[in-house]
Amino acid sequence: MPEFAVDMRGIVKRFPGVVANDSVDFAVERGEIHGLLGENGAGKTVLMSTLYGLYRPDAGEILINGHPQSNYGPATAIRLGIGMVHQHFMLVPRLSVAENIMLGQEPIKSGIFLDREAAIRQIQKFSNQYGLPIDPKARVDQLPVGAQQRVEIIKALYRGADTLILDEPTAVLTEQEVEHLGSALRKLKQEGKATILITHKLREAIEICDRITVLRKGRVIGTVHASETNERELAEMMVGRDVVFTVRRTEAKETPEPVLRAKEIEAEDDRGLLALKGVSFDVRKNEILGIAGVQGNGQAELAEVLTGLRPIRKGSVSLGGQDLTGKTVRDFIDAGIAHIPADRHLRGLVMNFSLRENAILGRQRIHQFAPSRFWQNQLEITNYTKRIVEEFGVKTPSVYVLAQNLSGGNQQRLIVGREFSKEPRMIIAAQPTRGLDVGGIEYVHEQLLKMRDHGAAVLLISMDLDEVMMLSDRIAVIYNGSIVAIRDPEDTDRRELGELMLSGARAQTGAEEEG
Amino acid sequence: MTTLGDIFTIQLLLATLRLASPIALIALGETFSERAGIINVGVEGTAVLGALVSALVGYFTGSPWIALIAAMVAGGLAGALHAVWCIRFRANHVVSGIGINILVAGLALFITSAVWGWRGTSASAPTLSTWYITGAAFLLVFASQIFLFRTKWGLRLRVVGEKPEAADTAGVNVHRTRYVYTILNGVLCGLAGAFFFNSVGRFTSGMVGGRGFIGIAAMVVGNYSPIGGLGAALLFGFIDALQMRLQGFIPSQFSIMLPYLLTVIALAFFIRKANVPAALGKHYIKQ
Amino acid sequence: MKGNTSLSKGSTLLRELGITALSIVLAFGISAFIVWAAGFSVSAVFINLWKGAFGGKLALGSTLTKSTPIILTSLSFLLAFRCGLFNIGAEGQLYIGAIVAAVVGAYIHLPAALHVVVCLLAGGLGGALWGWIPGYLKAKRGVNEFVSTMMLSYVAIGLTDYLVAPRGPLHDTKYWANQTIRIAPTAALPRIMKPTQVSMALIVAVFFALVVWYYLFRTPAGYELRGVGLSPPAAEYGGIRIERKLILALTLAGFLAGLAGTGEVLGTHFRFIGRFSPGYGWDGIAGGLIARAHPIGAIFAALLMGALRAGGMQVQRSGAAPGDIAAVIQGLVIFFIIAPTLIRVLIHWRKK
Repeated sequence: MPEFAVDMRGIVKRFPGVVANDSVDFAVERGEIHGLLGENGAGKTVLMSTLYGLYRPDAGEILINGHPQSNYGPATAIRLGIGMVHQHFMLVPRLSVAENIMLGQEPIKSGIFLDREAAIRQIQKFSNQYGLPIDPKARVDQLPVGAQQRVEIIKALYRGADTLILDEPTAVLTEQEVEHLGSALRKLKQEGKATILITHKLREAIEICDRITVLRKGRVIGTVHASETNERELAEMMVGRDVVFTVRRTEAKETPEPVLRAKEIEAEDDRGLLALKGVSFDVRKNEILGIAGVQGNGQAELAEVLTGLRPIRKGSVSLGGQDLTGKTVRDFIDAGIAHIPADRHLRGLVMNFSLRENAILGRQRIHQFAPSRFWQNQLEITNYTKRIVEEFGVKTPSVYVLAQNLSGGNQQRLIVGREFSKEPRMIIAAQPTRGLDVGGIEYVHEQLLKMRDHGAAVLLISMDLDEVMMLSDRIAVIYNGSIVAIRDPEDTDRRELGELMLSGARAQTGAEEEG
Repeated sequence: MTTLGDIFTIQLLLATLRLASPIALIALGETFSERAGIINVGVEGTAVLGALVSALVGYFTGSPWIALIAAMVAGGLAGALHAVWCIRFRANHVVSGIGINILVAGLALFITSAVWGWRGTSASAPTLSTWYITGAAFLLVFASQIFLFRTKWGLRLRVVGEKPEAADTAGVNVHRTRYVYTILNGVLCGLAGAFFFNSVGRFTSGMVGGRGFIGIAAMVVGNYSPIGGLGAALLFGFIDALQMRLQGFIPSQFSIMLPYLLTVIALAFFIRKANVPAALGKHYIKQ
Repeated sequence: MKGNTSLSKGSTLLRELGITALSIVLAFGISAFIVWAAGFSVSAVFINLWKGAFGGKLALGSTLTKSTPIILTSLSFLLAFRCGLFNIGAEGQLYIGAIVAAVVGAYIHLPAALHVVVCLLAGGLGGALWGWIPGYLKAKRGVNEFVSTMMLSYVAIGLTDYLVAPRGPLHDTKYWANQTIRIAPTAALPRIMKPTQVSMALIVAVFFALVVWYYLFRTPAGYELRGVGLSPPAAEYGGIRIERKLILALTLAGFLAGLAGTGEVLGTHFRFIGRFSPGYGWDGIAGGLIARAHPIGAIFAALLMGALRAGGMQVQRSGAAPGDIAAVIQGLVIFFIIAPTLIRVLIHWRKK
């Protein structure tokens, strides 16, 4: 009987209104890479957070290396050899790599002082042993995302992890970086470590893992060997029905009429460094232009520049011939640009406003809602909100509910409804399906295509390459603040796009770029 | 005729050091609690409390040293109250601090009336030399500078204020850290309050006079480091010492205004947002 | 689940009122304990508190007179608070407004109704200036408004002290007290509840409470201001100019506090008297908090505090205990109100 590194039996964890884990059995062997697969909200992160001691299970038992453990916190979990690399990194941006890694287990010299040199030596050792190159003295906020992830992994190893939990590690990586991660994990496997990979990406799960456990709505659907299954089967286990893999994209009508023109745009990021270095492209009517790229290459700044939220240092942006360079957010909105922001909690909604107050966000001054400076047409605002709620399927008992009390999917529907009801000429959609479940994703995709067919120009910025390839009429790759290529989806593939996203290098065929 | 040479003397330097001490203590205390993520604008009221308790305990025990300890304990209690309100009950930090200021102001009037029969003033009580407190202030600042940047507890403190989730997953107890440093903040403010008492020999309700808030400003100008706070406090102490000597030349009401005006000007021109702890003022909720 | 578990506005209102009521009860309870522990008679204190606040026409007049400026300073605090700002400088803004009103009232001559309006405006604008300065500094230089409004408060007090001091430019040489000359009768606000000191200023204050309510909840500008207070990034996304709103909020807050001082000059004292405010500005902070930042609530919060002040004076007069027990009660009320989860914890505790 092989000894399990981790054995969770009958785990139950409840939150108000939902059973996140419903009698889950989950066991991982030594020297195994085990995938934990499921949709958003299936309970994967909750289960692993419970293993890591961040949550206490309402029922069930946990055995680590054969010994039952109960009522413990992260400090104990670390001592027992469990390390967790979270989806959102637990790194302190302003501190160095070494300081981040040694936190909690600081080496001491002369009784009270931090021994930074000792920590650095130890870190280099791990870095070399597992093929995870990093600079211990660098400040974390200066590092690219892939490097930060390596820091997180070494942090776990530094604390003596034998079992590593990785939560959605590939969400922010390109194809090549995923391969590097895969080989690092295999090295860990050779050293006898157990790895749990939380993911919702079918292909990577099959490629990297030995066994895969699928969760759906808090329950274990089954555990299979990666070699004995395929994407279709896994998808069915995940969602319980035959999933449509590709959205039938109707061919766009050929109207080469540019709606949005971006010319040689230069802009700085929040730190004052140049994030956009001369970006030029057009978006045409009845078209979806997809921007593919790894997070951190300027997409966020691009979306902000095209909606007036960030100043343009050089270059210009115009909509239908009207120059919007240097104008305010209000001007962009009035010109007919709709913006689905990447972070709905931060930008898209005022969480403590009601639905109806959020429905007019951006257009609170127009005549329909405010016939004069001294009077708001409350009735009209309420009716308008009701129309959006109905048309876009926002599930809510009333329009007076506060936005924060809606689920993520319904919040996004509200935002989409609000933006699309404006009948905009131009839509900037940044990460529009982030955090949504399969149903929500399908819905947003449908709506985007519908708006495109009705004459809007759509700029789709997404880290999900599949999404970009599925929906776009043309795909632009952004790398290091520049557009390095624009391709027709028929003429390219994931490999080429991945290369462009990672290194900005052009494909060897020397095919002509579109202007 | 009074010349510049008469104004800028060794007396001025000594006065600067003295007057800077309570501000430096408050700045240091606030640095600790804000580095842990807790804003405490109740430092003003806590200092008032420290002064009041110094007078009260000194009056009844006859010992200025016991009074000093009592002042620090009282300050610590006020800090604890604030910490409980912010952490356990999730009050808005600034609002809770305001509550402490208002509560202490009312208590001070009530207690002075009840004990001595004078509204807002106490009888005199034995004092000790404020140079002890000044010396302590300087020592504490230098010790704290080393503590914050060269020891493991200092590292943990900084992480708690920057990104409590990171500290939590590393096994650092975020809530306990916040409690400890907020209470420490209170203790240091109590000590500052004792300074005010010992400068005068009795408690009067206006004696702190906004210097708690100047202490917060000193922390900001000093960019959240103990030494920086001391430097800023010295600047304010200098202006405070100077205005007393200028009172012959300009109307007293204007010279009294100087420290406050300077604070606003200093804040307006010394913007360095670099070191504000990222998680400052935010409640940390563990599941 | 976040703190606010109720879904819509209606049930929230009831909950908020319940929390406020419970906080007041708790505060009184603890104060009773303090009174008892200090060796005073609890019943004597509470009887005199009531007597001083509501026991008869004179008492009621005293309460209302004291409540009037507090309504305005509470509005001042809560308006800024709704924009995410802490206006701690109402005391200073109040003094600046008062001195300006006193000058316009005394040295300029206009027909009656017009004179009053002009004085009110002038005083409000004086306070508005004192609010604009920290607003501008916050918006353009990132200066912490808590500290700057507080510092400017001390500056304002010093400034007005100087102006009415014996050798100051506005001093009334006929008297030795630090005060200006009397305002013209055309500038005075009539008394409305003789023989008490309650004046039209009360009507003005209540009127502005309604105005502030309407502004915040029924106009697009108020919508934008609240948006900035709740979520600056979302407000920016919605085309709202954050800097402008910050400056506007503090300027308006200063205006309201200036009106508070003006009301005292035009309705109660008929001149500017140095240090005339027993802390109305600070009470405004308490009032704004007790009112849970709601303009209509500010009327009742101010009433509570005026009552406490008036009652406290009676307690002092009667010798039952130091009158400042009222200030202690006020401090305690705030403490209980500001802890959102405290009440819930207490309720669960009692259920066990």
